[in-house]
Amino acid sequence: MSGLVLKSISKTFGGTRAVDLVNLSFAEGQLTALLGPSGCGKTTLLRMVAGLEAPSGGVILLGDRNITDLPAHRRKFGMVFQSFALFPHLTVRDNVAYSLHISGVSRSEAADRAGKLLDLVQLSAFGDRRIGQLSGGQRQRVAIARALAQEPEVFLLDEPMSALDAKLREEMQVELRLLQQRLGITTIVVTHDQREAMTMADSIVVMSNGRVEQVGSPQDIYHKPQNAFVADFIGKANFFDGMTVPGGIRIGATHLVAEPRFIGRSLVRVAIRPERACLDEEPGANRLPAKITFVRDLGPIREYHLESALGRMVVEYAAGEGGKIFQVGDTTEVRLPPDALHIFPAPTAHEALAVAAE
Amino acid sequence: MRVVGSLYMAFCALLLALPIAVVCGAALNGGRSMFFPPRDPTLARFGEFFVSEPVWTQALGNSVIVAVGAASLAVLLAWPLAYLLWSTGSKLSRTLAALGSMPFAVPPIVFGVGLGFFWSFLGGLGALWAGVVSHAVLLMALPMVTISIGLQSIDRAHLDAAATMGATESVTFRTVILPQTIPYTISGFFFVLVLSFNEFIVMFFVSASGYATVTLQIFNSLRNGYTPTMAVAAITFIAVSVLVFSAVARWGDLPRLMGADQSNS
Amino acid sequence: MTVAEHIETGPETARAAKPLSAVRLLSWALTAVIVTLCVVPFLLVFVISFGRKIEGAAWVWDFTLANYQRFFVGALWPDDVTFLYLQQLGFSFWYAVIASLLAVLTALPFTLLLSRLSRRAQAAWLVFILSSLSLSEVFIVMGWDILLSNNSGLPALFKSTGLTQWLKDTGWFQVLRDWGLASPRNVKFKTSQFATILTMSYLVWPYAVILLYPALSRLDRSQSEAARTMGAGGWCVARTVILPAIRLPLFGTTLLLFVFLLGTYVAVTVFAAPAQHSTAVAIYSNIRGANLNAPFGAAQAVILLMSAGVCLALGHRINTWAEAR
Repeated sequence: MSGLVLKSISKTFGGTRAVDLVNLSFAEGQLTALLGPSGCGKTTLLRMVAGLEAPSGGVILLGDRNITDLPAHRRKFGMVFQSFALFPHLTVRDNVAYSLHISGVSRSEAADRAGKLLDLVQLSAFGDRRIGQLSGGQRQRVAIARALAQEPEVFLLDEPMSALDAKLREEMQVELRLLQQRLGITTIVVTHDQREAMTMADSIVVMSNGRVEQVGSPQDIYHKPQNAFVADFIGKANFFDGMTVPGGIRIGATHLVAEPRFIGRSLVRVAIRPERACLDEEPGANRLPAKITFVRDLGPIREYHLESALGRMVVEYAAGEGGKIFQVGDTTEVRLPPDALHIFPAPTAHEALAVAAE
Repeated sequence: MRVVGSLYMAFCALLLALPIAVVCGAALNGGRSMFFPPRDPTLARFGEFFVSEPVWTQALGNSVIVAVGAASLAVLLAWPLAYLLWSTGSKLSRTLAALGSMPFAVPPIVFGVGLGFFWSFLGGLGALWAGVVSHAVLLMALPMVTISIGLQSIDRAHLDAAATMGATESVTFRTVILPQTIPYTISGFFFVLVLSFNEFIVMFFVSASGYATVTLQIFNSLRNGYTPTMAVAAITFIAVSVLVFSAVARWGDLPRLMGADQSNS
Repeated sequence: MTVAEHIETGPETARAAKPLSAVRLLSWALTAVIVTLCVVPFLLVFVISFGRKIEGAAWVWDFTLANYQRFFVGALWPDDVTFLYLQQLGFSFWYAVIASLLAVLTALPFTLLLSRLSRRAQAAWLVFILSSLSLSEVFIVMGWDILLSNNSGLPALFKSTGLTQWLKDTGWFQVLRDWGLASPRNVKFKTSQFATILTMSYLVWPYAVILLYPALSRLDRSQSEAARTMGAGGWCVARTVILPAIRLPLFGTTLLLFVFLLGTYVAVTVFAAPAQHSTAVAIYSNIRGANLNAPFGAAQAVILLMSAGVCLALGHRINTWAEAR
């Protein structure tokens, strides 16, 4: 067995393309996050991997085996569902042992293995409980243990954290990642939460409108977004539309120094992360007068909303960073370091609509 | 406003209980006639109904056979209908479900007349088994509804989950669908049981005086006037109903079965 | 996972071969059973309604409209016209309309109150309602018969408590006599339309509650609360928020109960005067009773069913018309 490969996978429902010619490979033992806004086709893609949905076109390979037409119950990829889909008529232990029971494993062996799995998710004391007696976090652990019971070749999770409250969510993300690394199992997680993806994943697949926008490590995705959609969807960014001119970019009447990688006079969209823009006295290119319109102090982070010649933008400082504290109404200068500017081709009208719809 | 509401509910309950209470009281009459309040109270009528009068003991036996048989058969007929409706939702399944509930929806006298002709052609007229089948068909709509409610309550993700764990469709049916719908199936069974127990119009036409159930026996002797033994039958039947529906309420979600919203449970 | 290890065919061809025979077999078997048991009996009634009765024997297959002619204008038409059977149908409708309206209107506030109770209390009430609902018509008629009969129950109670005397003194007794609810000596409920309709209404009252219950328990309570915060009083809320929301189930329930009541037999034979009997009673006496004229009974059953169908269709029409406005 080795990795999972998707070749030109598409899925159409009625007339709409939910998944459009997706090519991906999932390395063995790695955790990949399918990340995108709701309706981008990530869950459909996961269900096709699980065998719950048949692709309209394309091939799914597991190692060198073509599993495109293998039904879900023959693939036996363990899957954790958004609602967890635990069986209310069975106890926790019987839920975990379900795949073993139906595949004819003897009762004692099944109970034994279920016990070990419950140990693994720290629920050994809960084996005889009913599902209704568990908290959300406990249910999620049961769902994970249940999906792992059949020792699947690929482990799939569909929005596994969405039923949990915010605090528990972060804990479980770390725990799930540690468990996955310990077991070394090929794992695909569907999520719309970029923090979740960045916490857990070796590799992130950003999707929108049924297409793959970018594949890369969490750091690559954040620091080197390949297009405006990714820059916008992952983290925060200030966007400006402009045009390339020799030596930089013209935005309205302002000229920004930048490394133009486009031929002259092409329409571009410029992005800068709030933490890369500075409000300081240091000399450098791209200094613009700015006026503070709003201050948002979140504790670890302080955000300045400001008005400049480029329009509105946000600058962000971590606590203790960047000396001077500004108040609303202060005037200062904002500096946009040329190496912090991401320059993308301007989105076509069609893409712009899609982004606006999110 | 609240007091007026409670009073109204109490008034309705009183009015609903009044004739029942009168019948129950009449069962205690010592003589052959019905009086209320009872004269010369005695429990001898209970002995007659359950033990000594063969007319009544036989009728009671028939009632039980028909009710249990019809309830079982109705559930067996309703299951595939409800399952087909739920799993395919096809036009055929919807048509079949509509046709299957038609006997329950039209005035029972019309269906009774039709079944009378039907069995006289098939040679079942006056046979107990024909009575069982007739009641099963008449009341099939009830388990069809309860089982459908049960099937709809199954999260479709459960079926996907079972599939990803290696369950084929038949295994999923056995291990996921069936266990989760059992309370609804049992409720449907009991609804048929109780209504069949009390039904007599259809039974009147299909029995052709070949046999009698308790309610039919009372119906047949209507012109001769009531006797306190009939009132004993009434008490028995009320007790069975209360017992059965209490059981359904205890082990199933009665408000939900009756169509209340899930969210406030 | 050994069989499908080297599938080289495209996904489309493989999926088309998925076997559906089990489902199809089940569908066919079910169709056969349902058609035989649920449809054929009705068809038989319809076909036999065109049959012909033979004096002194049973009946034979035929295609004659004589039974229908007899229903509408009498057997001896055109020499002699009688509307006896139409009149019976009229009584069927009259009893059913009034009784179903009465039941729905009184059950509505009850059900509304019921749906506001706690889940446990609702379950307890439902047990009570369902027990009453399933109680056989014969027992219900028995109970009301005892309550309303002339030498026991309410008339006796009226007399012994002096209520009868009081009615006579105040002059109300004459009014009751005019309404046919009193004999010269005491109040008298048997036989009367009052007793018939009361019992019929009682018969379907639990059905009304059960049928209204889903709609009322799903009413969005925050809507009523919103109306309250905007200054609407209890009645105003009921009129402007609740009634429009439940108009459809209210209407549907009334129609269903009406159709159900068209077939009432025992209550009518016991409480209504022989001249005021309904079509259901006539069907009985033709099929199994004294007359033994199955084709004519079948014809009456068909007409009863058709009128029920016409009412349902008409109700549907009125409703879509009202919806469109």
